Amino acid sequence: MNSKEKILSALRRNTRETYEMPDLGALQGITFDDPVAQFVQKTTTTAGARLVEVHDGDDLNALIRQAYPEAHIFASNIPGIQADMNPDTVGDVRELMRVDVGIIEGRIGVAENACIWIPQAMREKAICFASECLVILLRRSQIVSNMHEAYALIQQSDEYFRQYPFGTFISGPSKTADIESALVYGAQAARGVTVCLID
Amino acid sequence: MKIGLFIPCYVDALYPEVGVSTFKLLRSLGLTVEYPESQTCCGQPMGNAGFERLAEPLAEKFDTIFAGYDYVVAPSVSCAAYVRNFHPDILGRKGHQCQAAGKTMDLVEFLHDVVRVESLPSRFPHRVSVHNSCHGVRELGLSSPSERNVPRFSKIIDLLRLVDGIEVVEPERPDECCGFGGMFSVEETAVSARMGLDKVKRHMATGAEYVTGPDSACLMHLQGVASKHQLPIKFIHLAQILASGL
Amino acid sequence: MSTIHAKRAEEYLHDEAVALRHDATFFGVRQKRDRMAQALPEWEQLRDAASQIKKHTVTHLADYLEQFAANAEGHGVHVHWAQDADEYNAIVYDILSSHNVKKVVKSKSMLTEECHLNEHLEAKGIDVVETDLGERILQLMKLAPSHIVMPALHVHREEIGDCFREKGLMENLKSQDNPTQVPSDPNDPTFLTFVARLHLREQFAQADAGMTGANFGVAETGDVVVCTNEGNADMSTSIPRLHIVSMGIEKLIPDLRSLAVFQRLLARCGTGQETTVYTSHFRGPRPGGEMHIVLVDNGRSSILADPEHWQTLKCMRCGACMNTCPVYRRSAGYSYTYFIPGPIGINLGMLRDAKRYADNVSACSLCMSCDNVCPVQVDLSTQIYRWRQRLDGLGRANAMKKLMSRGMTILFNHPALYTTTLRFSPAANWLPSALMNSALNPWARGHLMMKFPKKSFHQLWKELEKESRNQ
Repeated sequence: MNSKEKILSALRRNTRETYEMPDLGALQGITFDDPVAQFVQKTTTTAGARLVEVHDGDDLNALIRQAYPEAHIFASNIPGIQADMNPDTVGDVRELMRVDVGIIEGRIGVAENACIWIPQAMREKAICFASECLVILLRRSQIVSNMHEAYALIQQSDEYFRQYPFGTFISGPSKTADIESALVYGAQAARGVTVCLID
Repeated sequence: MKIGLFIPCYVDALYPEVGVSTFKLLRSLGLTVEYPESQTCCGQPMGNAGFERLAEPLAEKFDTIFAGYDYVVAPSVSCAAYVRNFHPDILGRKGHQCQAAGKTMDLVEFLHDVVRVESLPSRFPHRVSVHNSCHGVRELGLSSPSERNVPRFSKIIDLLRLVDGIEVVEPERPDECCGFGGMFSVEETAVSARMGLDKVKRHMATGAEYVTGPDSACLMHLQGVASKHQLPIKFIHLAQILASGL
Repeated sequence: MSTIHAKRAEEYLHDEAVALRHDATFFGVRQKRDRMAQALPEWEQLRDAASQIKKHTVTHLADYLEQFAANAEGHGVHVHWAQDADEYNAIVYDILSSHNVKKVVKSKSMLTEECHLNEHLEAKGIDVVETDLGERILQLMKLAPSHIVMPALHVHREEIGDCFREKGLMENLKSQDNPTQVPSDPNDPTFLTFVARLHLREQFAQADAGMTGANFGVAETGDVVVCTNEGNADMSTSIPRLHIVSMGIEKLIPDLRSLAVFQRLLARCGTGQETTVYTSHFRGPRPGGEMHIVLVDNGRSSILADPEHWQTLKCMRCGACMNTCPVYRRSAGYSYTYFIPGPIGINLGMLRDAKRYADNVSACSLCMSCDNVCPVQVDLSTQIYRWRQRLDGLGRANAMKKLMSRGMTILFNHPALYTTTLRFSPAANWLPSALMNSALNPWARGHLMMKFPKKSFHQLWKELEKESRNQ
């Protein structure tokens, strides 16, 4: 027997009483009368991100540059977004560590905790983490109340994950409190996040 | 309704007045109370120390002694909890079905849930800080544990509110352990004493003259710590306050 | 007669300021957790569900592991199986050496601590860089973690600043395009975090491989889920092309629907946040990359056979039991002899090697707070109580407690002897105070001795009975 077989047979041998899976249907996650308002509030407070509301007719590229006037290198693979670098075509992934602002697309926003679901719709996901700052585009209509609803979407529909090797929920900038519990933004990954909420 | 009074060993030896107050209180409510004199200890000290098998004959004896009563009432949450939660297993191993567990109660829950007292003739015109003993909170459900998302309640405070002239307060961290833990206080003396000191200081910070609670063991520990540090606060068992007019 | 834990705790408590600060820090985390719990009406339902899902999963673990491995392999992941620490270390080394890896960046994994992977790899010449800030600080200072989630909160900023300066981390400030000035407080946490950021980003760029642990493995999809606040697991796996996941077999959950329950509980319980900043799902290797998962047993399958302790397998290592434990907060991580401290550490240590780690069993007042914060409802205190029952058989019982327990038993089993003793106990009041309050009496170290009353309740009862009869 190889190790896999030995482990599996030990587990089967050592299992005594077995337990049924509970019915999760009865579990109601918290919902909000206005999930968008809750999402905005969580994003700008506990998550520590900035939020820009983008309406029809606004120039998204201009808004992004306004948000980061000092930035030099912008990166994105989103059609229509002006960028200096593209995570799909970048030669050495380390190049993305020089990016000032990475612009990526979120697919689900979660009101209870400001999480935004970002599948790896790019060749190099380093753009999501190595960029000094992140801009995440999200449609208002994609905001749900809680993680139960978010995972239900991911589970039910192929568009959210099935075609990608990786996906992540991001809630604001990278944080640490490892030195004397002092909360500091920008541990290793993005130091700042701006969520663009699009109509 | 016939009640067997269970006066735990250390209350018997060190705090007999707590037993007296309990008896008088129950008697004043028109209840028939007896004290089976052959009782000694429920076995908790040995069990918590890691010698549960030494508690077996005591659990057996306990079951026999209190066989003839409708309720077994003790002015000690930790002992009541041990009988209720541990005796069934201890006796079960010997093929004996525990009878006492289902009818053993701490004084607070007995007064609150069974007798449902609505008034008391007692008067205690002092500011009193409530000591929520761990086993009262987390084993007997005398109050809502601070860890849980459940409606807030306190059976202890409900009862104290029946006392005339009393002002009831709770310390910060109202149900953090005081550090007694039976043999824990003997084996982990430094941590136990630190926990005790922290707790005494939090009780004192409420401005209370007295600390009261449903378990003399915690109070004994806190009193020992307080007097070692010469901290001026007094300790009194809940039964003594409730029976103060009797 | 004191345990190692009791002795170390006593030493730790000598510095009152440090001890009080440690207690306040972790009680603060506990209070943040409480606010999270109070904010969700479904909190207790979530805990019930989490416990039930874990009970179900660990009692169907072989099936779920097969499903998980098949799905991961279907996505092009290499899945390895390790029965113990040695096999695990050998597998990881083989993967790294076959890719000619010189430097590996690593996000926090308790499993690698359990198996002493870093030492193993370093002995073979591989540079292992911890990338969680707290873990990196400890690695540079050559210290062990003091907590599983917040491993370096016991280290003070001055010590961290000194360490960074000594190890040359400040050099990175100069080599940047925009040189950074040292602020007036050279140990300011924001500044030190920035210094570490530059240092760690350099490590990510240089590394040939990234290693992560796993918070959850989703059987239905083969996903490995890793939660961090710093993004270090993501940096470790976005730059180097080789990703190795180390995962204890108990980390499995059935599906994404279950994951929602655990994701919602983990950060709320662990650090009092609604979520970690990153909840990353690794489903397969990234384009041009390679991904390996090593599934490690190392004693877990045996735990399943233990009727009293199998439910420790439900634990998801959130650390909430440590934060609430009044003994942990006042004795700190290094007082424990197992690398995981606190209530869960006491139990896991005993399951690892009961004789060796028996010293930690004293570190519990049985207050049961841990049982009530645990998101998966492990009955931690009951388990510690049960371990105490086994100590005598292991030859690790405390001689004094044994003596006292035996003495009490003799007394309590003989009511006549008991009442006679009671009658004479007030005599103890007359013993010289110096003797009663001496160092020989452990109770007297923290307390003044209590006074015995003139009469016991047993004696008073006769009078009460008479009085009642006369009424």
